[in-house]
Amino acid sequence: MGFLQILSARKVYQTPEGSSVQALDDVTINIRNNEFLTLLGPSGCGKTTLLKCIAGFEDLDGGDLILASKSLRSVPPHKRPFNTVFQNYALFPHMTVEQNVAYGMEVAGVSKVERDRRAGEALELVGLSGFGGRRPTQLSGGQQQRVALARSLVLKPKVLLLDEPLSALDRKMRETMQIELKNLQHAVGITFVFVTHDQEEALAMSDRIAVLAQGRLQQLDTPTEVYDKPANEFVANFVGTSNMFAGTVASISGDRVILETGNGRRLAATSTAFRVGDQVRLVLRPEHLTILARDETGDADVPAIEGRVRETVFVGSTMQVHADIGHGRTALVSHPHTRRGSSDIAPGAEVRIGYSAASGHLIPMRSA
Amino acid sequence: MKNKRQMLWSALLKGYGVLFLVFLYLPLGLIVAFSFNANPINVAEWTGFTLDWYATIFQGASVEGNFDAAFTESPERIFDVIRTSFVVALSAASAATVIGTATALALARHKFFGKRFYQALLLLPMLVPDIVLGIALLIFFVGVGIELGLMTIIIGHVTFLSSYVFVVVSARLAGMDTTLEQASADLGAGPLTTFRRVTLPQIMPGVVGGFLLAFIISLDDVVITYFIAGVGSQTLPLFILAMMRRGLRPQITALAVLILLFSLIVASIGLILRNRKP
Amino acid sequence: MAGDRFMAARKRNALLLLLAPISIILGIFFLIPLGIVVVYSFLEPGLYGGVEWTWYPYNYGRILGWPLNDYEEFDPIYLKIFATSLKYALMTVVFSLLICYPAAFWVSRRSERWKGFVLFLITLPFFASLLIRIYAWLLLLRPTGFVNTALEAAGIISQPLDLLFSGTAVVLGMVYIFTPFMFLPIYANVEKLDFSLVRASQDLGASPIQTFLRVILPLTAPGMVAGSIIVFIPALGNFIVPSLLGGAKVQMTGNLIERSFLQSRDWPFGSALALLIMASVVVVLMIQTVKAGRAKGGRPA
Repeated sequence: MGFLQILSARKVYQTPEGSSVQALDDVTINIRNNEFLTLLGPSGCGKTTLLKCIAGFEDLDGGDLILASKSLRSVPPHKRPFNTVFQNYALFPHMTVEQNVAYGMEVAGVSKVERDRRAGEALELVGLSGFGGRRPTQLSGGQQQRVALARSLVLKPKVLLLDEPLSALDRKMRETMQIELKNLQHAVGITFVFVTHDQEEALAMSDRIAVLAQGRLQQLDTPTEVYDKPANEFVANFVGTSNMFAGTVASISGDRVILETGNGRRLAATSTAFRVGDQVRLVLRPEHLTILARDETGDADVPAIEGRVRETVFVGSTMQVHADIGHGRTALVSHPHTRRGSSDIAPGAEVRIGYSAASGHLIPMRSA
Repeated sequence: MKNKRQMLWSALLKGYGVLFLVFLYLPLGLIVAFSFNANPINVAEWTGFTLDWYATIFQGASVEGNFDAAFTESPERIFDVIRTSFVVALSAASAATVIGTATALALARHKFFGKRFYQALLLLPMLVPDIVLGIALLIFFVGVGIELGLMTIIIGHVTFLSSYVFVVVSARLAGMDTTLEQASADLGAGPLTTFRRVTLPQIMPGVVGGFLLAFIISLDDVVITYFIAGVGSQTLPLFILAMMRRGLRPQITALAVLILLFSLIVASIGLILRNRKP
Repeated sequence: MAGDRFMAARKRNALLLLLAPISIILGIFFLIPLGIVVVYSFLEPGLYGGVEWTWYPYNYGRILGWPLNDYEEFDPIYLKIFATSLKYALMTVVFSLLICYPAAFWVSRRSERWKGFVLFLITLPFFASLLIRIYAWLLLLRPTGFVNTALEAAGIISQPLDLLFSGTAVVLGMVYIFTPFMFLPIYANVEKLDFSLVRASQDLGASPIQTFLRVILPLTAPGMVAGSIIVFIPALGNFIVPSLLGGAKVQMTGNLIERSFLQSRDWPFGSALALLIMASVVVVLMIQTVKAGRAKGGRPA
């Protein structure tokens, strides 16, 4: 049982040209109390639409939205116990910071004394005590962000909705705010629903991630599960980088699966979900691949992949090695440059690429 | 690298710009200057400084020792005309401001069938030549049996002023961040509170600017008023038009300067308000 | 779902409330009157003003050349006057275009601070009373006006020139009062013009004239078209300027309409003339709409 249930949510948009687009297609998510849930996906995947439907700015065309066993569909936005932090913050430019923060309490009829006290507390919570008299335009992006947070949190919403709130900040500020947001969520104990297209941000902050694409829910799981065990090809590609091989399950012993690609390449993986003859895709993350040194053999029953280095890109912590592995394929290996044998890796060098069968993740071939 | 030819072009353009402003302002400047000219017959020939023309507008009687200052219009008549103009402009501009703003809100914030029709319809009163609208209203009022007078002038003005207010307020609404209204609703404010606390303060410069524009246009309208004023009520522009047709008198120049001054002050306020950043 | 319908109903009520006033105002006091003008233009004029409710296409006949009966001879005087109106309106458009185009470039090249001030100066006369702006030219062009006085004083002429009450005076007056209408759309367009495109054109070897014809002119054409339309419409139907600056010598269709309504009280004929003006306006707007639609890149079918 979820705390806030999104049941088979459907939303159709009419484009100006007259065709219709499924912005949300049968999306069901049970949002848990006090969790940090991220809606992740590329632009146009429906994540912002879903957020707007939760906030009440858009009406669902089908399905339902249930909070404490009551449907919210007939509840207008200003009567929903949710608050939103907008992408552009949407601070009222004609009010001071304090008036912005007190606005929600004011329209709810909270007394002036109480308003002042709570607004002060909220500003303190986000580290902006003493900024109450300023205008939003006199603040930096990061500060405006905090005011927007304070303005929403001061109302103690059941759920805080955040619509790509970090996208307007520069990289440094964004990283600081990621940590702060996470800490804030722990401190206030409010459910956060956070929308982003940035997979790193999603992985860093969330308790759970809901990956959306083309209006459909692709996977809903913890960050580690989403990364290590992507449910389908889309998730594998969108979250992190993947080397992917299509093939047929050739043999199974225990949880060890050997598959054979169309080119006769034999690869190993770990899974119990498939039978011999199934069409599958093997996902191997670049950091799960290593360039074997000349005398290394790698995992005994995992056949190494033969290849030739095409180019290397040094990115600091690792060396990104692009290797031609035959049949027009390229493998991307994230190779720790301190590892032995690194000096042999140069464009043109013949290499063997090793991996462990445990890191090989299988996904079904046909998946939406 | 700036070569000589570019500098020549740039200098020419600058000179042209100054000429352009001279073209706009010289005629107006001359009226102002020569409204103080004592020469009653030839306005262009300066014979000395006088305030007589200003004095006689509102006195009616001749200034002692200056026969040419005689001015046949009674001061009561002028005040009456000015009052009519202000009553018309204030009521028409107020009504047009409410109607135009409501329409702008409807078109900016709602999706509905026939929206394009309304958008086109609202442009029409500004595109239809004044004279056509003037005679159309004349035929209509006479045909329906509404007596021409103050009321018909006000109604006539509202029809085209609403469009002007609509355009000004729409521009302001288009520049306004719609998420502000969502944020207000999100924070618990109902539609009316949101309008009063967020939308209205945001579009206020547009509303005030639209009102002032409508006010000035109404105050200045000749053509439409000309057809629907009837015999009983005369506005200031109609009064001046009648005076101009009867023959040039120095008092017209003085009155013109006063009107000029007034409309420029109102227009300045409007323009400054409009240019203020949201 | 019931709740959704309830919310939709509330939204619809708000919309109806917002749209009601404009619908009433424009419906009753704009569309219906225009419709009546159309009807009137096909009715027979009454003997002492007013109309007879009979089908009577001869209002248009008088203008366009199918006289009421064989005895009457068709006099193309009204067509001539209409042609004169068209000519003056077009001249007004051309001259104000020529005046405003360079001025727009001048303003767009000013620094931000000056730009605001200069724009303010250019917009301001638009709000000055129309009659007074015409009056200024009356004073300038009179036989004893500033222009003649100045020219005589300079010894260029010995007799005052007959400047007033001529087509020239009418066009000059209209150019003067419509200049802000022409300037603003052109300026809005020129201001948006990306000057790096001009530099790119020069960089690619185009001469200044080629750059102007191939880059600047096409990119600023929309503003020129918009300004031309905004000036053409009120110029074509004008009757105040010709009646004050043109005197008895210059007749425009607007003067005819005015006289039909307020002097000869032949409303059907005046309505027909007004619709002639309207028709010209509609034609101009339709050409513009079609062209704009094509420019937006209607994909070939």
